[in-house]
Amino acid sequence: MVYPGGLVRFRSSRSASSSERALQHPAPRDHSHCKGPMGETAGAEHTGAASGSGPTRSRGERSTDREFAVGLARAFGGAIFFSLPLLMTMEMWWLGFYMSRLRLALFMLVMIPLLVALDHYSGFKETSSWREDVVDAMVAYGVGFTASALVLALFAVIDTSMPPREIVGKVALQAVPASFGAVLASSLLGGEGRAEEERKRSVGYAGELLFMTAGAMFLAFNVAPTEEMILIAFQMTEWHALALAGTSLVLMHAFVYAVDFRGQHVVPEGTPGWSLFFRFTVVGYAIALGVSAYVLWTFGRYEGVSPETAAMQSVVLGFPASLGAAAARLIL
Amino acid sequence: MDGEPKGRRSGSHEEPSVWEWVTAAGGTLLVLGTVGLMLSEALRGESTPPDVVVSVERVEAVENGFRVEFRVENRGGETAAGVKVEGEVRGGGGTTETSEMTLDYIPGRATRRGGLFFREDPRGSGLTLRASGYAEP
Repeated sequence: MVYPGGLVRFRSSRSASSSERALQHPAPRDHSHCKGPMGETAGAEHTGAASGSGPTRSRGERSTDREFAVGLARAFGGAIFFSLPLLMTMEMWWLGFYMSRLRLALFMLVMIPLLVALDHYSGFKETSSWREDVVDAMVAYGVGFTASALVLALFAVIDTSMPPREIVGKVALQAVPASFGAVLASSLLGGEGRAEEERKRSVGYAGELLFMTAGAMFLAFNVAPTEEMILIAFQMTEWHALALAGTSLVLMHAFVYAVDFRGQHVVPEGTPGWSLFFRFTVVGYAIALGVSAYVLWTFGRYEGVSPETAAMQSVVLGFPASLGAAAARLIL
Repeated sequence: MDGEPKGRRSGSHEEPSVWEWVTAAGGTLLVLGTVGLMLSEALRGESTPPDVVVSVERVEAVENGFRVEFRVENRGGETAAGVKVEGEVRGGGGTTETSEMTLDYIPGRATRRGGLFFREDPRGSGLTLRASGYAEP
């Protein structure tokens, strides 16, 4: 369930346009060791791009269109790939028609800034504008909708005999993780491989927190709809919950700093371990709990339960959410 | 920066292709349309409690008796879960035969289909079908 890699650019970095954009911002520190998409370093692009940048306008446009088509196809692949477990989860279909319309609408709107921000921080930061990120995010959402509708129709989960509310609800709910998958697509299925590690160093604290939010959301969403979530919370005692919270924290920290996963963060010299622990791991866990609570509330899991049960459910969902948050820091 | 190219800025920099704009517009339309639809549903107060109506569609003789096919319509706005459908056939000799089944979910304003089996012939006058209960999901 872990998704290795950066994000889709619908205009892939292979296009002349991105090297041109790089040209206009020759200063950024991370470009100097950023591997270009054709295996050159970005520095080489700086000097060499002039020779490769002479296509006529119409040819350039055609190739941009082609890049876009390829990116779109990749986004479709990612949308289906990453949301397939949810597309095949019956609780998701049921939630699609019975969950509160207001909360579903809110959920869909909340995802927009998250998609835009994800696209922004994991694309070529210095060179992409917010406007492009918004366009990319909306393309991803459109792809998510279409991919969900297609797969649900193939599964006969939706058909024309159903009332519009049921069809729209099922597709809309699935479109959320699918659009996530569309944005995540190029990492796994696309070719920008190596640049990511360099890029993510420059995202700053806010970017790290955003990645954690996105990762937590993605993993929480994947397990939150199932009945097992509730069942696990019912089976646990308070001691289990405390132990689970502690385990989540330790695993989060170890994921990022200790166990040598690809993309492991280097501890800056002179930074005490406790500082990292509090600034990233504890804050990350708080984010994971917050995201869990929001997802549970959205799915109506807090209705008619005692505050203790609600807290327990949050801790249970906070476990995958915290791992998602930690993994996202490595991967995005 | 003598390599600063002329005309590049007006090129593809920050200018997504036409198709990208079209696709993005489509996506925006889908999202906002869906959100609008949901908000309007929520605000029109269509969330009336389930109102489940069972109607017979077909009765046929089968190997071990008779099969009654029926459709269940939820005329309320909210989803009914675990809807129990009970059928009763009054036989000739004053006997009654009952069968029952449960439907997992019937979304608001949706229709589901099912069937009940009886040994007695329900094609006389004595067949009644009804939904006897539901749970909130």
